[in-house]
Amino acid sequence: MIEVRELRKSYRSRRGEVRAVDGVSFLAADGLITGLLGPNGAGKTTTLRMLYTLVRPDSGSVSVDGIEVARDPGRVRSQIGVLPDARGLYKRLTARENIAYFGRLQGLEPDFIESQTARLVEALEMQDFIDRRAEGFSQGQRTKTAIARALVHDPQNVLLDEPTNGLDVMTTRAMRGFLRQLRAQGRCVLFSSHVMQEVAALCDRIVVIAQGRVVADGTPDQLRTQTGMDSLEDAFVRVIGTEEGLLA
Amino acid sequence: MSALWTVFAKELRDAFRDLRMVVVAFVIMPLAVPSLLAGMSAIGARKQAEKFESLLELPVSGAEHAPNLVTWLGSHNLRIVDPPADLDAAVRDQRHEVILAISADYAVDWRAGRPARVELIFDSSRPLQSGATVARVRALLEGYDREVGMLRLVARGIHPAVARPLELGSRDVATPESRFDFSQQLLPYLLLLLGFVGGMQLAIDATAGERERQSLEPLLTTPARRSAIISGKILATAAFTMLSLLVTLLAFRVVFAWMPLERLDISMEVAPAALMQLFVVVLPVALLGAAVLTALAAFARSHREAQGYLPLLVFLPMIPTLFLMVSPVKTQPWMLAVPFLGQNQLILRILRGEPIAAVEWLINLGASLALVALVWAVAARLYHREQLAVSS
Repeated sequence: MIEVRELRKSYRSRRGEVRAVDGVSFLAADGLITGLLGPNGAGKTTTLRMLYTLVRPDSGSVSVDGIEVARDPGRVRSQIGVLPDARGLYKRLTARENIAYFGRLQGLEPDFIESQTARLVEALEMQDFIDRRAEGFSQGQRTKTAIARALVHDPQNVLLDEPTNGLDVMTTRAMRGFLRQLRAQGRCVLFSSHVMQEVAALCDRIVVIAQGRVVADGTPDQLRTQTGMDSLEDAFVRVIGTEEGLLA
Repeated sequence: MSALWTVFAKELRDAFRDLRMVVVAFVIMPLAVPSLLAGMSAIGARKQAEKFESLLELPVSGAEHAPNLVTWLGSHNLRIVDPPADLDAAVRDQRHEVILAISADYAVDWRAGRPARVELIFDSSRPLQSGATVARVRALLEGYDREVGMLRLVARGIHPAVARPLELGSRDVATPESRFDFSQQLLPYLLLLLGFVGGMQLAIDATAGERERQSLEPLLTTPARRSAIISGKILATAAFTMLSLLVTLLAFRVVFAWMPLERLDISMEVAPAALMQLFVVVLPVALLGAAVLTALAAFARSHREAQGYLPLLVFLPMIPTLFLMVSPVKTQPWMLAVPFLGQNQLILRILRGEPIAAVEWLINLGASLALVALVWAVAARLYHREQLAVSS
C-alpha cells in the first residue's frame, strides 16, 4: 500500500521556478490497480520518481507499507518494483543476466533469483529471448525484460511509468493481463499513463493529475457521476479542462 | 555477495564482452607500447653508431690553406667536399650538420708557429640531429692538434709527456640494465599513462554511458547504495586497467626477446621481481585514474562530454616526465609523495635495478592512496546528486 500526502516539487529553470508537483495526495491500496492519468507534463513522472526515492520532495511525504520513504529509502526500494520511464538494458548481457543482476542488487540468493526468473519468464512469455543478449531487442522484449528485473524480488508494490508506451497491440494486451495477475496476487499496482483507454481498461481507481495537482480521484463510475458525463473520455476532458495531450 | 562486488563483477563481464574494448586493452596496447619503445631505442642506438662509424661528408672552406690537415681528415673516414656559398645559411637550413672553415691566415700562422685558426660551424639548437657529428669532427681536430703538438715537442727534444700533466681516464659504471637511453625517459610515462587512462572506455561506458542508455535510473531504484555502486565501478575500471597493464608488461619480455639489444649493450630484460614492483607502483595510479574518470563521467552530461576531458588527463602524467627530462634530479623523499613524479622516479629506479627502501615505498603508496581516497569521495558525492539520473 502506498500513501502519498501533499507532495510538492519545484525545479528551477531558466524561466524561473517550475512547480512540477504541487500538492499531490492519494492512496494506492493493495489488490487494486491504481492509475495516474494526466496529460504529458502533468507531473506524473516526477510524482513516481518521488515514490521510488529517486527525487527528494520539497515537502510532503510518502509511505510504502507504512515505511516512510524519507526515513528509510533503502528499505522502501526493496518493497517496491519499479519500471521507470528510462528502461535501458545492458545490451551485452542476456535478458536472464540483466534480471539476475538486479536480483543480486536486491540481495537475493541465486536459487531464489533462478526460480523467480522462471516464474516471470512464464508470466511475461519471455521464453524466446530470455537467453539472448539484449542488443537488438524489440521494444516489447525490452519492456518485458525491464519489468521482469523490476519484479525479481517479488515486491508487494509495483510502480510502472507508462508501461505500455511504444508496445504493439498484442504486447499491450499481454501486459494488461500481467498487471491483472499482479492484482489477483493482492499486490498494490500503481501505473501512470497519458492514454485514457489504457487507464479505462485496467484501473480500479483513477487519480487524474493536471498541472501538478490532483483534479479528480475515484473509481471510473464515480468519475462519470461526478462530471455528469456518460463516457469516461468526456469525463476526463471535463476534469482536466482541456483536451490537450490526453489522446496520444 | 554485496552490492559493491555485484556491480564490480557485472561491469567486468560487460567490459569483457565488448570486443573493441578487449582488443584495445589486450592486443593493441600490449603490442604497440613495447614495440614502440624497442623500435625507438634500436633506431636511436643504430643512428648513434652510424654517426660515429659511417663515412661523413664534411664541407671544408679554405681547404687550400691547409692541405695537410685536409689530407689527414680525409684519411679518417671523412670525405671532404666543396663548401656551399653561404656557410652559416647552409647549416641553419640543415643542408649540412657541420662545416669546417679554415682561416686564410692558416698557412702563415702555421709556419710562424702560432695557433692556426679553424672554425666549426654548427647549430647548437639541434643537438639531437647534429650533436654526434659535431662531436666526432671536433674529436678528430683535437686529435690532429695533439698529434702535431707532440711532434713539435719531440722535434725540439722535449718529451711529449711534459705537456701532458694529466692522464685522463674514465670508468663507466653503467650496467646494461641502466643503459637504455631514450626509452628510459619514455617508459615511465607510458606506464603511468596506461595506468591512468587505460580504463577510460570502461569508466565512461559504466557511468556516462549507463546514463545515456537509460539504465542508470532503474539501477538506482534497487536498494544498492550509490556509494557501493560507484565503488564497484571504480574497482572494475582499475582491475581492467591493471589486467591490461599486466599483459602489456608481459609483452615487453616477448618483444624484447626478439630485439638484438645485447649487440647494442643495452638490456631491457625486466625480471619477474621488477615486474611485480612495477605493478605495485602503477596500482594506485590505476585506482586514481579510475576514480578521476568515473567522477568526470558522473559529472559530464554525455559520453562525448566525458571524452572531451581526455586530452587534459593524458597531459597530467606527462608533467613529471617533462620536468625530469629538462632537469634530471636525484630523488628527494618529498618527490615520492607527488603523484606521477614519485611513480616516475620509482619506475626508473626499478628499471635501473636500484633497491628501494621500505620507507620510500611507504611514502609513495601512502600519499597516492590518500589522493585516491579523496577523489573517490568526490566521485561518490557527484553520484549522489539528484540530477544524476533525472534527465528530463
